[in-house]
Amino acid sequence: MAVLADLISVEERFARSSNLERDASRTEPLDGYVVTARALDMIQRIATAATSGPSGSAWSLTGPYGSGKSSLALLLDAAFGPSGEAREAAMGLLNSKSDVGQAVGFAHAQCQTEKRGFHRGLVTSSREPLTYTILRALYTAIRRSYGKTPSIRSFPAARVLRQALEDAEASIGNPHRIGPSPSGLLEVAHCLASDGPLLLIFDEFGKNLEAVADKAATGGTDTDPYLLQQLAEAGQGHGLPIFILTLQHQSFDDYLSSVDAPKRREWAKVQGRFEDVAYVESPAQTRALIGSVFTVNDEKVQNRIQRWSRPQAQAMQSLGVSDLADPSLVASCWPLHPITAVVLSELCRRYGQHERTLFSFLTGQVVTGANGFLAKTNLPSRGPLPVMGLDTVYDYFVGNGGLTSMSAASSSRWIEITTRLRDAHGLSDHQLRVAKAVAMLNLISNSGTIRASAHVVELIEPDASLVLDDLCDIGIITYRSFSDEYRIWQGTDIDIRSLLEEARIQTQRHGILEVMSSMPEPQPIVAARHSAKHDCLRVFCQRYVSCDDKADPLEAFSPYDGQVLLVVDGDQPPPLVNMPSGEAKPTIAAIPQSENINSVVAAARELTALKKVLQNPMVKADWVARHELSERLAVSQIIYDHTMCNAFTGSSCRWLLLDGDTEKELQAGRGSSVLSDAAERAYPSTPAIPNETINRTHLTSQGAKARRILIEAMLEHGSEPSLGLKGNGPEVAIYKATLAHTQLHVPNKSTGQMVFTAPTGGKAAQRLQSAWKMLEAAFKQAKCRKVNLNDIIASLQSPPLGMKAGVVPVIIVASLLAHRDVIAIYEHGTFKPQLTSDMAERMVKNPGFFEIKHFANTTGARQQVIDAIADRLEVRPSFRQHRVVNVLAVVSHLVSQVNRLDNYTLRTRNLPEVARKARETLVTAVEPDELLFNALPKALGFRAVSANTKTYTKARAYANSVGEALEILAGCFSNLLGNLCDLLLEESGETSRLAVVGQAAALKNEVLNPTVRAFVLALANDSLPPPNMDWIKAIAMVVVGKAPAEWTDDDLARFRHIMPEHIAAFHRLVALYAERRAGGGGPFDALRITITQPDGSELARLVGIDQNNRQALEQVLDDILKKLSDVTGSQRRAEHALLALLGERMLSIKRTEEGTGAIEANLQQVKEAQIA
Amino acid sequence: MPEQIRHICGISGGKDSSALAVYLKDRVPEMEYFFCDTGAELPETYEFLTRLEVILAKPIALLNADRGFDHWFEIFRGALPSPQMRWCTKNMKIKPLEKWIGDDPAISYVAIRSDEANRKGYVSTKPNIESRFPFVEDNIDHAGVMQILDDAGIGLPAYYEWRTRSGCYFCFYQRKAEWIGLADHHPDLFERAVAIEQKVLQDAGVNGDADFSKQAMKSRQYTWSGGETLVQLRARRDEILERHEAAIARTASARPNLPLVDALADVLDEDDDTQPCTVCAL
Repeated sequence: MAVLADLISVEERFARSSNLERDASRTEPLDGYVVTARALDMIQRIATAATSGPSGSAWSLTGPYGSGKSSLALLLDAAFGPSGEAREAAMGLLNSKSDVGQAVGFAHAQCQTEKRGFHRGLVTSSREPLTYTILRALYTAIRRSYGKTPSIRSFPAARVLRQALEDAEASIGNPHRIGPSPSGLLEVAHCLASDGPLLLIFDEFGKNLEAVADKAATGGTDTDPYLLQQLAEAGQGHGLPIFILTLQHQSFDDYLSSVDAPKRREWAKVQGRFEDVAYVESPAQTRALIGSVFTVNDEKVQNRIQRWSRPQAQAMQSLGVSDLADPSLVASCWPLHPITAVVLSELCRRYGQHERTLFSFLTGQVVTGANGFLAKTNLPSRGPLPVMGLDTVYDYFVGNGGLTSMSAASSSRWIEITTRLRDAHGLSDHQLRVAKAVAMLNLISNSGTIRASAHVVELIEPDASLVLDDLCDIGIITYRSFSDEYRIWQGTDIDIRSLLEEARIQTQRHGILEVMSSMPEPQPIVAARHSAKHDCLRVFCQRYVSCDDKADPLEAFSPYDGQVLLVVDGDQPPPLVNMPSGEAKPTIAAIPQSENINSVVAAARELTALKKVLQNPMVKADWVARHELSERLAVSQIIYDHTMCNAFTGSSCRWLLLDGDTEKELQAGRGSSVLSDAAERAYPSTPAIPNETINRTHLTSQGAKARRILIEAMLEHGSEPSLGLKGNGPEVAIYKATLAHTQLHVPNKSTGQMVFTAPTGGKAAQRLQSAWKMLEAAFKQAKCRKVNLNDIIASLQSPPLGMKAGVVPVIIVASLLAHRDVIAIYEHGTFKPQLTSDMAERMVKNPGFFEIKHFANTTGARQQVIDAIADRLEVRPSFRQHRVVNVLAVVSHLVSQVNRLDNYTLRTRNLPEVARKARETLVTAVEPDELLFNALPKALGFRAVSANTKTYTKARAYANSVGEALEILAGCFSNLLGNLCDLLLEESGETSRLAVVGQAAALKNEVLNPTVRAFVLALANDSLPPPNMDWIKAIAMVVVGKAPAEWTDDDLARFRHIMPEHIAAFHRLVALYAERRAGGGGPFDALRITITQPDGSELARLVGIDQNNRQALEQVLDDILKKLSDVTGSQRRAEHALLALLGERMLSIKRTEEGTGAIEANLQQVKEAQIA
Repeated sequence: MPEQIRHICGISGGKDSSALAVYLKDRVPEMEYFFCDTGAELPETYEFLTRLEVILAKPIALLNADRGFDHWFEIFRGALPSPQMRWCTKNMKIKPLEKWIGDDPAISYVAIRSDEANRKGYVSTKPNIESRFPFVEDNIDHAGVMQILDDAGIGLPAYYEWRTRSGCYFCFYQRKAEWIGLADHHPDLFERAVAIEQKVLQDAGVNGDADFSKQAMKSRQYTWSGGETLVQLRARRDEILERHEAAIARTASARPNLPLVDALADVLDEDDDTQPCTVCAL
């Protein structure tokens, strides 16, 4: 049995792409070339134009990739070339199809070019200026006609040509040279055309146009389309025979969509000089091409094909594919099934590179392609003819990855379908074939009759209906009743179109501003030129406004340096209101042309509508619909961005600089030049800080750390060179840029120590002058009232300075240090005697919590007072040599003295009145000047020191009084401790600590009641060196339960009361211990019995019970108590009576001994200790 | 000359570390004592520290005194510490401590008792610091600690009546009953904690309070105590106290004659499933 490949010959055509420079004048590229109707039409046009008169013409041929444009160019080149093999081959092709060959013959005859042919310049364009391409084309034509660069004798324009070539050579890689001159090229073309007809063909002309767009984007100026226009015009009317043909994929306008409007209009004018020719084959023409590929030589088989084709043609007619209703065409397509032919042509058109893809499949040597099918398919001698179904097409395009150019929108469906089939396992061959047929139909289906309906599938795969049901059951395909179609992709029943339509109508109801405001915020833009020039990044934010609204200026603390108001309606800027009293950051209004803004708004509405539909719950639940809408959303977004870009760039809109009531038109330029102009006007005094770590609005974490280290060093090591910073870390770089180069931190001329001072000297210092002057002005203002730091920062960040938020704290700290003698700092309203690094950290974060005040008063009475106090208190400068004569130094000293005081001194009333009043005043003072010149003198009995008086006679006396009060306060606590110590020694009857410690130390190792033990241990503490302060502190704390530093006067009273009791108890213990020691210390239970007399004198006895006699003694006691109980009536009363009688007897002994009379005995039993 | 080794003993304001300080007073005469001051300690703690200083007859170095809680609260613009974001321990305890120690070789004495040898205190990861556990070495347990404090005559910090741990008044490791204790004993501090919970630092603005609610944790409600704000917690005062007392009774009946301070600790530890701030609490 024969295989099909033996019976069918396949014409190899169209299979490759052409290269004009390589293939021109050769016959091989024309082998197998199928001259399509469009190609013939094009050749006919040129031939007609050449025949009809002396003038030429211009065409722009637009067609998709792979449609054979380059091959057409080669055919033209050969047909209009000199006589020879190439022309013969070309004429053969033309004559076999039509009478176009004849027309070409006439043209040659008319132009007298039968032998030598036209001058032909055939070039492939590249991304280069037009002049280069035209020069190449002309030069090619000349070389081909003259064989070399001709002499001036044979070619009058030879010198111009050489000049053009030299210019082109010289300008390669040199952006300052402009290349060949257009007039020279025109002269060369004229010269050539006057010798004979000139045919210029520019393949890939789109590349030239892309170069135009590139140039426009980068701000280039050449690429004048006028040359091309002149060339085209030269061949028109009664001009020279110049024939120009440009070949490109899309219209001029599409290539130039990113170019600004005037430029695009110029190109539109050029294209007007060209006759547009669309180079697209219709599906029917493509199918006719398919028919020309296969040739069956066997007559018997041909007959079978004829018989097969008739019912097929009928079926195609019923499906409405009219061209395939012709049985002969169906027959010519065999072994392709007619539906395969339909699908194939559509598939290549939609997903591939047209004829190139089509012929790759039909004639290529890939096993999955048509040739593979022919090689493996047998032709049975009878029965139905084998046909190539859609499964072969599927295998080729999926297996081979045969499709290269797929737009995002179509690729997703492709991927979805192929993924679904790839993942379907366990299908029978037949099922798989049917599934693949459905897949291919789905891919090309746009509804219509050729879709995956049961009828169509049945046509190509007999007995498919059962299989379709099976596939539905398995879930590989679904049947969509609304379109009577099987689908392998999930598809959606949601009517996206009507949803979208509805959403569009809704968005129409919204105002323009409302629609635009729902768009993402437009991105901020950098004023590039200004930023580079001033080492300072200036960024403008953008927002949409309506011309009817009022706009506010940017606030000083905004991270942006200005704003651009994009006016979306009307041609007037919105009025600017709420202008600050100082200078405001610049505001620019951009007013676009109305047609541009209309397209922006239209794109925004579409985007809004799509977003709205995506929010529809039905859509949310249907991923296919969601997917499709997401893709459309992405495309819409691109369109929107594009229209925005067109509407608000460069010269496409008006730029107005707004300033309150006035407005000034800014000259539109390329890129951000408008913003740079505005920034130049607004920020003429920007200090130059050449360090981008610090000179920015938001610091990086590393930058912030470096700034913190730097500020800490400024505060703590200000007198050291380079602030004591070592190495080359970012803080050192910032130091150099902000403090060293600007000469803010320099050695003092007299002392040589480093100090912070006003910037003087070099260029960098000069550029910081304005900022420094502004700071000094603010400090001066602070003489009248406190000034919030935020106000100062606002001025620094506003025009004309426009300093960056990152660098501002460094400069402010430097200025505060430079003015440390006169500027006071308040945090949270509280005076701070010193700027510490932790304060600085807080200041950087929340400057609004800080205020400054200027109260240097270095003249008159106040100075006298300050001098006197500084002298009396011996206030020394912190690190500078000159005398400290300012309020701050004195007040800081006072405050620090008060801060050192303990709580006892701060609370006690046991102070001389003068010290007490001074203390109260110092503790409650808020304002240093108020304290020093008003409150404190009054408290000490002096009159206030007025700012206006010249002298203050009591200055010395006042200073002495302050000094005395401070000395009393400072000595208060040690006085307390001294008193406590005296009280203790007095009570203990000892004269030295040593004696007390000695007594207590003897008791140290005894187990005692916790309270007594703590007291004894405190007394015994001999580890503390003299003087006795620490010793008495511990004792006092044990007695009162509170450290003396925390005492109040009440605690002192408690000490006076309790301490004697403790001492008495201590004495008793000492006595007890001594007696026990004296008694030999044998095992006995001991009690110490003390009887106190009304006069306070006491009788103490240590009484013990011998353990050996204990039992006998208790027996006797029980008997006595029993007897006594009988008398007293109860056991308890008996015990009391016994104790009282015993006490009385013991007391009487004492009375006898001491001869004093006390009647009432106060019996106290103290179980002081149990000595074991 | 060999490098001088520093001997350091951290004091938290609680009983164990205080007892250790007293215990080592004569044993390690060159001891340096330190207290990581957050600036937000209870007044009782400061008062107790002055007592301790008297006994130790040495000043206790206050670390971090210049950058307390208020400082960091302002720097972080109202971002509050939490178990998940414990910047307080890092910034106010560990960082200043390690800065204070520097690279000197040092021996750190840690107050873990012999009866709680499993507990972990701050054990430095720095190689120059060696840790020692004298109470574990010398077998001193809870009773021993109490004895040391009694002998020194300083007793316990006053907050032990209602709270078991030292640390910031708004410590987020406090139990609900302890918050009520704060409200009862220091209504002003409780109010301050309420304000901080709402991202407001009292008297810290230029004229009045500083409100960071717009900057910190936008729209997220932070609460010091799990699941409710302090205002809600205070409204449940009676309920919380009732449960608390029931728990004390339960514990006390299980172990008769338990001193209050221990009963309280046991009760408060009942619902304690978090590892508290060991630097603060030890």
